[in-house]
Amino acid sequence: MIPRGSEAIRHLVTRVAQDLIPKAHDAYTATDLGYFTVLMGLIAQDYDRAAEVLVSEHAALQPILREAALHIDDADLKERIAKALAAEAPSLRVSDLTARSDVTLKLLIDLHAAVEAAEAGGADWARTVNDEIWRFLEAHVTAHAYEAAL
Amino acid sequence: MDGRENQLQAGLSSFLAAEWLPGARVSDLARIPGGASRETWRLKAHAGDAIRGMVVRIDPETSLIDTDRRTEYRAMEAAFKAGLPAPETLFLEEDLRWLGRPFSITAEVTGCQASPGGITLEHRDAIGRQKWSLLGRIAALDPLTLGLADVMAATTPATCAMEQLDYWAKVIETDELHPNPVAHAAIRSLRRNPPPPAQKLSLVHGDYRTGNFLYSPDGEIKAILDWEMAHIGDPLEDLAWSLDPLWCWNEPDRAGGLLPHKEAVRIWEESAGLEVDPEAFRWWQVFAALKGIGIWISSSEDFHSGASKAPILAIAGWLMTDRQQRILVDYLSPHSMHRFVRVVK
Repeated sequence: MIPRGSEAIRHLVTRVAQDLIPKAHDAYTATDLGYFTVLMGLIAQDYDRAAEVLVSEHAALQPILREAALHIDDADLKERIAKALAAEAPSLRVSDLTARSDVTLKLLIDLHAAVEAAEAGGADWARTVNDEIWRFLEAHVTAHAYEAAL
Repeated sequence: MDGRENQLQAGLSSFLAAEWLPGARVSDLARIPGGASRETWRLKAHAGDAIRGMVVRIDPETSLIDTDRRTEYRAMEAAFKAGLPAPETLFLEEDLRWLGRPFSITAEVTGCQASPGGITLEHRDAIGRQKWSLLGRIAALDPLTLGLADVMAATTPATCAMEQLDYWAKVIETDELHPNPVAHAAIRSLRRNPPPPAQKLSLVHGDYRTGNFLYSPDGEIKAILDWEMAHIGDPLEDLAWSLDPLWCWNEPDRAGGLLPHKEAVRIWEESAGLEVDPEAFRWWQVFAALKGIGIWISSSEDFHSGASKAPILAIAGWLMTDRQQRILVDYLSPHSMHRFVRVVK
């Protein structure tokens, strides 16, 4: 199978924009259909990239988690980091990768708070890890960014 | 006419006959696109020789913003009475017998549009000057003198910022479908670095931006819309929201797509009779982007749960959350290239 979902969705966008919106019987329906085309455009972007983004992000977090695990005192955080480092998604389905990502991002939120507290206490390692977390967050928002004419 | 229009026509005709003029009936119902927080319809009301254009806003089963219609109605009424361009409020009806949901009715403001895309280069600067001058006038209003104390939560200059932060942090924590580490980093940053107390408490519109006012073809702002998030608070909150980069995404140097940021702030200061404290304002800039995430996350949660199938809710949840996160990273990351304007004076 050659996954051409993104192309198919874009064809649908064109069909709605060119054929259906001009036939809408009122401004509200036309506007609603316009929103559908924008939404479908976002879905088309995610269709193509979602697995790549989720796998790459999981890999990018590994060195951050490993470094933090060397310094973090909190037992619960240490245990969650160990689990995250060992976590395998049951499959490469986007739903499975997303479920793993959700657990890891929740861990990242709690770890980031702990790192900030340690940095405020003067820990040099924390400054380095905080820096790496922000680099990850910059890459994270870039990877999830949508192109849209709006 | 479809079933919904028939139902509305019958319900509104009965209501207006009872509350406006005997024998009143409704015609020309047309749903107004856009307004995601209420189901909004334009109509003509007839009674004898009288014909009046009206706009009815009906509570949705779900919306972008969970708000109280009474607060919105009373804020709009107060603004109108204070001489600001706001739709004239006519009726607030919370009895479910007419339409099955609460609703409010205002006078129609005719011949105008709200779309940011419709603003011509010819009128852009003039509309911008009006926009921030009017916002300054809102900031100059005292909500207690306006009689809004019974519909808006009391606050103090020292606590209003953190109360707003607590509210929106809770919205994000409750409604986020996926963990959002950028938003949580922003929440922690705002808590670590609280702003100084507000210079004064004022009426805060809560969603004052390009797209939420009606302007005429000759470039005059005729009505400020969407008062559903109005509250008492720091006037810098509205200013920061109005200048958020989300509202000038494709032209970040023009606030709201209208004016250079510094000019907008200068006009606001003159009109409000206040001076912007840059340090306090930076806090409100971060807060504005975070509040946006709260609104967009809520909307996508409604779409995901099936509470609403309106595509605008999903777009807000996906596209706007994406952009608002990029704004927050730009503001907060130690590696930021600072694409977005933070210095406003």
